Amino acid sequence: MKSKSGYIIGKIIELILTLLVVSLLVFIAFSVIPGDAARVMLGPNASDSQVELLRAELGLDKPLVSRYFSWLLGIFTFNPGVSYSYSIDVSELIAQRLPVTLGTSAIAMIMVIIVSYPLAILSARKPGRLGDQICSVIGHVLFAIPPYVASLLLILLASSVFSLLTVGNYVKPSDDFFGYIGCLLLPSFAIALPKIAMSFKFLRSSIIEQQSSDYVRTSKSHGLSDFKILIRHVLPNSNVSSITIISIIMSDILGGSLIVEQVFNLPGLGRLLLSAVQGRDFPLLSGIVFYIAFITVILYFISDIASSFADPRIRLK
Amino acid sequence: MHQSVKKSLVFASVLALGTTAIAGCTKKADVNNNAVVGITQEPGIFDPHTVVAAGDEEIIFNVYEGLMKFDYEGNLNPCLATDVEISADASVYTFTIREGVKFHDGSDFDANDVVYSLKRAAGLLETQDGTALVSELDSITDVQVTSDGRVEVTLEAGNSELLSFFTVGIIPEGYDNCQKAPVGTGPFKFESYTPGQSVILIKNDNYWQKGLPYLDKVTFKVCADMDAGLTELANGSIDIFPYLSKDRADQLDPAKYNIESNGSNMVQIFALNNAVEPLNDVRVRQAINYAINRKDIISVTMDGAGVELATAMSPAMGSYYDTSLDGSFDQDIEKAKALMAEAGYENGFDITCTVPSSYLIHVNTAVELASELKAIGINMEIKQVDWATWLESVYAGRQYETTVIALTSSYAPYDVVGRYASTSDGNFINYSNPEVDELLKKIPLTADESERTELYHQVLAVLTEDACSAYIQDPTTITAVSTRLEGYHVYPMYVQDMSQVKLVEN
Amino acid sequence: MEQKKTKNRSPEASIFYTAGLIFLGIVVAAFIISLFWTPYSPDATDAASKLMAPCLEHPFGTDNFGRDVLSRVMSASKYTLLISGAGVGIALILGTITGVLAGYYGGIIDRGIMLFGNSIMCFPGILLALVAVAVFGPSVGNVIWALGLVFAPTFARVCRVGTMEIKELDYITHARIMGVKPLRIMALHVFPNLTSQLLPATVIGLANMTLFESGMSYLGLGVQPPDASFGKMLSDAQAYIRVAPWLVIFPALMLVFYILGLYFISEGLRVGLTKGGKR
Repeated sequence: MKSKSGYIIGKIIELILTLLVVSLLVFIAFSVIPGDAARVMLGPNASDSQVELLRAELGLDKPLVSRYFSWLLGIFTFNPGVSYSYSIDVSELIAQRLPVTLGTSAIAMIMVIIVSYPLAILSARKPGRLGDQICSVIGHVLFAIPPYVASLLLILLASSVFSLLTVGNYVKPSDDFFGYIGCLLLPSFAIALPKIAMSFKFLRSSIIEQQSSDYVRTSKSHGLSDFKILIRHVLPNSNVSSITIISIIMSDILGGSLIVEQVFNLPGLGRLLLSAVQGRDFPLLSGIVFYIAFITVILYFISDIASSFADPRIRLK
Repeated sequence: MHQSVKKSLVFASVLALGTTAIAGCTKKADVNNNAVVGITQEPGIFDPHTVVAAGDEEIIFNVYEGLMKFDYEGNLNPCLATDVEISADASVYTFTIREGVKFHDGSDFDANDVVYSLKRAAGLLETQDGTALVSELDSITDVQVTSDGRVEVTLEAGNSELLSFFTVGIIPEGYDNCQKAPVGTGPFKFESYTPGQSVILIKNDNYWQKGLPYLDKVTFKVCADMDAGLTELANGSIDIFPYLSKDRADQLDPAKYNIESNGSNMVQIFALNNAVEPLNDVRVRQAINYAINRKDIISVTMDGAGVELATAMSPAMGSYYDTSLDGSFDQDIEKAKALMAEAGYENGFDITCTVPSSYLIHVNTAVELASELKAIGINMEIKQVDWATWLESVYAGRQYETTVIALTSSYAPYDVVGRYASTSDGNFINYSNPEVDELLKKIPLTADESERTELYHQVLAVLTEDACSAYIQDPTTITAVSTRLEGYHVYPMYVQDMSQVKLVEN
Repeated sequence: MEQKKTKNRSPEASIFYTAGLIFLGIVVAAFIISLFWTPYSPDATDAASKLMAPCLEHPFGTDNFGRDVLSRVMSASKYTLLISGAGVGIALILGTITGVLAGYYGGIIDRGIMLFGNSIMCFPGILLALVAVAVFGPSVGNVIWALGLVFAPTFARVCRVGTMEIKELDYITHARIMGVKPLRIMALHVFPNLTSQLLPATVIGLANMTLFESGMSYLGLGVQPPDASFGKMLSDAQAYIRVAPWLVIFPALMLVFYILGLYFISEGLRVGLTKGGKR
């Protein structure tokens, strides 16, 4: 047990160091962006004195190092400051947009799991058969379609065949929960498609590998049904790789959502991010980027810890 | 071919879709007495004196009112003033104040509110450092209530061009929280602002113009861009969507939407930085003017919905515009080539066009320009920058060779040409001609209307002769309005006037 | 490691190779032809013939500027190949150097390099690339650098693990005892043995980089107009999706062909290696 807690402590130190490096990267990147936030807020007709006044008000005239430390303090206390362009707390803005991005990601993740697991299990039972081969080929094709291209094709399909217009009608979950889910289905599907293929491929090969292992053969000779072997032995053992794969997929889905939101005109973090870039809105931009990285770091951390419980050998590495 | 391609794609997509059902987001039928206006710019500033972005101005036009107010034909009418008297040397403006007007917070409107608001806009309050919040009103030296209850505004020097700036919003005396809680006298009260999503206005029941407004609620909904808005329009989640391009507007169902249009009184300019080589040579600038085909540009960018410009002012400005300048630079490739050769550039040159990426029309114009300029050997590279960088390095920093932008203007002609003074902050093309400087100094001091008009004509003539830049078009503003609404007018400036809009009676 | 390199290709691998080469060949052929000839100049606008459906003169139709879509698709393949190639090149160089160093020396160097690499990998790749390009301005060069940096840690990981295994082999230990300089060992003995692991990673890297590049171009942060790229063509086409679907279909097909071709080849490599190894 001692080595296990040691492993976890090591991981936590790594986590904190990583977050510090991430914060430094984010801050340095945004400090060299050309463009003056004050001028953007005031527009082209503003006089220089108006701009100077606002710069002082925003604290843009302070030295870089002191700005970093005050920013760092703010960001780790979940109080990254006030957005220049919206004059509202960044955390509030992010909280407003989070339902879209997290909702889309969550639905996409659920789609990945409920489609890829059964398909992989079925395919892997009799590898090489027609059904398996069809799944594999479709999987390869889906893998090659970028989510935003899939979105465009889905929009084309939905509007020309079903006369459905599925773009831009965002419903808040507090107003109508099912309407909210409905709005996010198509974008989630577009993001999920290539990831379904990815997850399918890994699960399938991982199950096939397990099936040829000795203990599965032993269980078979003991008369256990295929299904029971699958549930009791194969899946739990292939879980190590699937935890890792799922955490990678989650991070990809989050990134994919940023672009797909744009195609479907959903008010999510992706749109907020682009408008923050355009508005030189440093507190907002750094807040979004840092927190997305933060979520990813935590995801990887959890997956590392979960893997170490699933497979004790990992600790030895 | 087109049909078969479409079919095969649909077939493939059906396969890919498998068993997953698509849920459309159906919009409930809206019978309420309200309207949703799509906007593509994020709102930000609601204070009538610090507002700069046109996208904010068009919203708060419904909330605040000034002593004067524009109508959709571009006429300047008295509003919170009932009358104005201008002294012979145009250095004192005296306004008679309208009675019986109430602010949104219930307080009565009077001359003291006007004094406070104008002083605040001009930076004359004791709490201010003297910098005018509305820079055009900087020349105001004093605002006073006269013994007969009128408001007297004194300028440091005569300026006959100032009246249109008295459209600046009037707020209650002593009030300083317009950004968070706007209070004005306009037809609509400010209800809420949700960043990235919407601004909501509700009806002002005590509006001084009896019977107005008609609607109970107006929502300004933020859309990512024109195409996003278009889709929402088709969905029915937006009723009014301004600044459409014509080809987009043509895609809309005419049974559901009326298409309203008006000149925008904007000047789209292919700005040439007069301070950099080889654009400092007037022959090169003229050659560029002769090389471009304005009709094709308008066709590609606006689907034909625009008025060709040869000079710095739109014909929408009426008598201030000089019709004799029409067609000064009709396309003439031979002449352009000759001018290039004369300037020593018979083999052309390379040049960069820095355009703001958020404005599709300008990016598209640059693409078309690059293609056209190849004919006279000019190889134009397009560099897209975001709006922040454009403002910083192109507009304020003037570090660029060429750019494409639209200059917005109110109906004040001095606003249109004033920027070409060599010392003007807005002279981002680095144009400098003592003759123009002289004329521009003279205009505000000239009280006589026809004399002033003549001076404007002279300025425009010099600007055209110098080919200070290539002027392209006054793009038509096209707005789609749901057929359930009527009374909407497209203003030739950035204004969404919702006070006249009402439901169509069945 | 060495035994896996067998000339015996399984039939499954051959199918993947063939399919991959066909798909990839279409895009590469379009690129090579475009260097010498396109039906029209890809940037030449023609207001008179805009938004024409596919026909004899314009087999892929024309766009909203009246530009020939076939010519633009052909010239767009240039940027796809250039950016993915150069980006992977940069990622490969950076990743190999840092990965081999980390794996060979271990200890604090290893930890430092991996901490930095992991920090980069904490961002969804597209986010980091987007921010980098937004910061330094959208241009082909910046996209290549940004993507190169984002992908470098992936290659570094592969090289690090490979180097750790190789460095324990007898002949390396022997060389070290003989006093051969570490840099020489890394360059002459370690690196050549990594190629079998780097090859599939490179092919997949090309495909993933294309996904990112086209996504960035779609958001307007990649290849700049008037130059054509698949992502930009698709984003411009979205406005006309109902009236001119050909503007979406042809660039989308080419993009998918390229990525699919690369996936098939990498799949062929994978199948070839594992099956070959088992025999």
